[in-house]
Amino acid sequence: MKAMSYLLITQLKNRILSIKKKPAMLILYGVILIVIVGSLISMLVFDQEMQMPSFADERIMYLILTGFGLLYLYIFTTSGLSTGSTLFSMADVGLLFVAPITSKKILAYGLISSMGKALLTAVFILYQVVNLRVQFGYGIKEIMALFIIYAILVLISQLLSIAIYIFSNGNPLRKNLVKTVLYTAIAAFVIVVLVIQQKEQLGVLEAAFKMVDSKWFEYIPVVGWMIMFFKGVVDGVLIYVLLSLTFFLVMGILIISLLTIGSADYYEDVLLSTEVTYQTLQAAKEGRRVQRSSNRKIKVRIEDDGMIKGSGAITLFYKHILEMKRSSKFIFIDGYTIVVAIGVGIAGYNLKSSEAAYAILVVIIYLQFFLTLFGRLKMELLKPYIYLIPEKSIKKVVAASMTSLLKPCVDAICIFTVLTVVGGADPMTSIFLALAYSAAGAVFVGITILYQRVLKGQPNRFVQVFLGMSLLIAVMAPAIIASAIAAYLLPDSLLFLCTLPFTIFCSLFAFLMFLACGNLIDKSEFTGKL
Amino acid sequence: MLSVRGVTKKYGKLIANDDVSFEINSGEISVLLGPNGAGKSTIIKCIAGLLKFSGNIYICGNENKSILAKRDLGYIPEVPALYDMLTVGEHMEFIARAYSLDNWKEQAEQLLERFELGDKKKKLGSELSKGMQQKLSICCGLLPNPKLLLFDEPMVGLDPHAIKELKNLIVERKQEGNAILISTHMLDSISEFWDSTNIMMDGRIAARRTRKEIEGSQENLEALFFHITEGDKT
Repeated sequence: MKAMSYLLITQLKNRILSIKKKPAMLILYGVILIVIVGSLISMLVFDQEMQMPSFADERIMYLILTGFGLLYLYIFTTSGLSTGSTLFSMADVGLLFVAPITSKKILAYGLISSMGKALLTAVFILYQVVNLRVQFGYGIKEIMALFIIYAILVLISQLLSIAIYIFSNGNPLRKNLVKTVLYTAIAAFVIVVLVIQQKEQLGVLEAAFKMVDSKWFEYIPVVGWMIMFFKGVVDGVLIYVLLSLTFFLVMGILIISLLTIGSADYYEDVLLSTEVTYQTLQAAKEGRRVQRSSNRKIKVRIEDDGMIKGSGAITLFYKHILEMKRSSKFIFIDGYTIVVAIGVGIAGYNLKSSEAAYAILVVIIYLQFFLTLFGRLKMELLKPYIYLIPEKSIKKVVAASMTSLLKPCVDAICIFTVLTVVGGADPMTSIFLALAYSAAGAVFVGITILYQRVLKGQPNRFVQVFLGMSLLIAVMAPAIIASAIAAYLLPDSLLFLCTLPFTIFCSLFAFLMFLACGNLIDKSEFTGKL
Repeated sequence: MLSVRGVTKKYGKLIANDDVSFEINSGEISVLLGPNGAGKSTIIKCIAGLLKFSGNIYICGNENKSILAKRDLGYIPEVPALYDMLTVGEHMEFIARAYSLDNWKEQAEQLLERFELGDKKKKLGSELSKGMQQKLSICCGLLPNPKLLLFDEPMVGLDPHAIKELKNLIVERKQEGNAILISTHMLDSISEFWDSTNIMMDGRIAARRTRKEIEGSQENLEALFFHITEGDKT
């Protein structure tokens, strides 16, 4: 175990020491620490003085825990059915797996390091200290309980994923069995909620509250045990705390036994998942999106022949169209379009007011911003070809951005058609909202180019992000203010025009940004990274 | 054909290339030698117009970032950079169209056949092994028939057949009058066909020799390389 403990301690030590060389990280960690400690202290100091009129229904927390638990179990179970999860890194595979160390010791190392990482990721709960205090009246005890629950959930989910992979890998029958169990379990939750709703004539949400608060639910594996543990801590019932921890422990031991008993060789089983995880992490570092599931095979169809057209820079556009077609059959209409259109349809149907339509626009423009962050141009900058193609920079920038400019237009047509048909929004309002959405998309693409052109050379990531956000605000603010003024001045009959100033401003800014930064390719460096 | 004049490239305080100058003529195979971190890949990337630098680089008399220079340039990176969602055949078509090439199909076929990719035209970039990716990357670089070819560690990851084909291709392109710059630290791989060499150390050109000079002076390239890179240790 000497090598294992050496590896764990040295990695931890070096990680801490490396912060010294990254002042920005040091400041960030310092700020995080100050925020967390400050929150805890203020909670302790003012705990007695704070007299909240009332706290939120605690069953909301049980429902959040159940939702989180189910989400994690679903994600890790489906990953177990494809490539499995992993406790190891590629360095572990290359150096540890081939070393003369027993596989059990290596597994223990994997578990410990994974647990450490899970605890680190659970730090985000501590950010919520004030929020949890204000909303639910929770103190340190309850927050620490949530912290522990999250860490356990992550570890158990990872183990479960590995176990499912080992159990079902290469065996379609077993895969189907796992899928059946998974979907039956999800269906069971829904059915139980509906039964309670019908039986007790309650709303759906109230029925869900009743389910997660019931005694029997605490014995449901993982999600129920999480609630049992939490209730035990909150109510100070030690037996609940111990019982739930025992359940988790037994489950963990059973899974680890599956990994280690007999001649079970988990090396081969975790190898693929480790490689996939490594590729995903590398892709994430480079800003690429990667096919996480190996189940989905991209088909190269005969009709794809000749899809790359044009000559010179415009070829980039046709290449993007082909790439998009390989990702989504309907090219511009992808999962995002469908999910957002459904969401907007539901929201529009339930809210049915003109104010709601504008609120929806704000929300989907916000979502769109994140979609544009990793646009096609940015992906193109990760390969040398765009730099090498013998064409003017502006032509290449426009060609490589074209699909990113068109996608919001197609999305806008789909989304606002749904809002009009399902949500009953005024067609004229929808048309102008769609124009505003498309123009916002153009601004985001422009901002990406401006960001690459102006801030790419800035070595400090935080300064980059700060200045990037400032740029965005500086560009968007006049457009928003112009529309707000228009909304104030326009008579009710012409109110649908109130987004027009926003659209005009955004289009103008986007045009100017393209014009000013058209020399991006000539002026920037190829680093292979974002 | 290629003229590198006083090129300096800095990454913050680190000087990756320090006042590097050299020339390569038509029909010349020049080799950049040097240990890891000597600045070979950096100068190659500067020549390819991928990095900013101070100094001047001219390709066929044109400033290296100009469109005219790009037309005459072929670059094969150290790490193959392919599109996951494009097939082998589509990569060739993309390059042909991006460079506005005419009558490229026959040559594309020949290149793919030579590198044993002819039967893999329908394979996506993401489905290729590392070696096959490297072969396709070479094909993409060669397809526009550039007058100047830049190879950054081209033999890494290739199988013996591909290495043989690549060596043949390099010699063929030289005979056609192309200038070729190869960055490597594998001396054996270029011993048969190099014409001139620049040995880099700590971002500078530490020595330059032609094949004639070496052959005429009884000097040994390998010994010279180790003398420069390891000093008295050898």
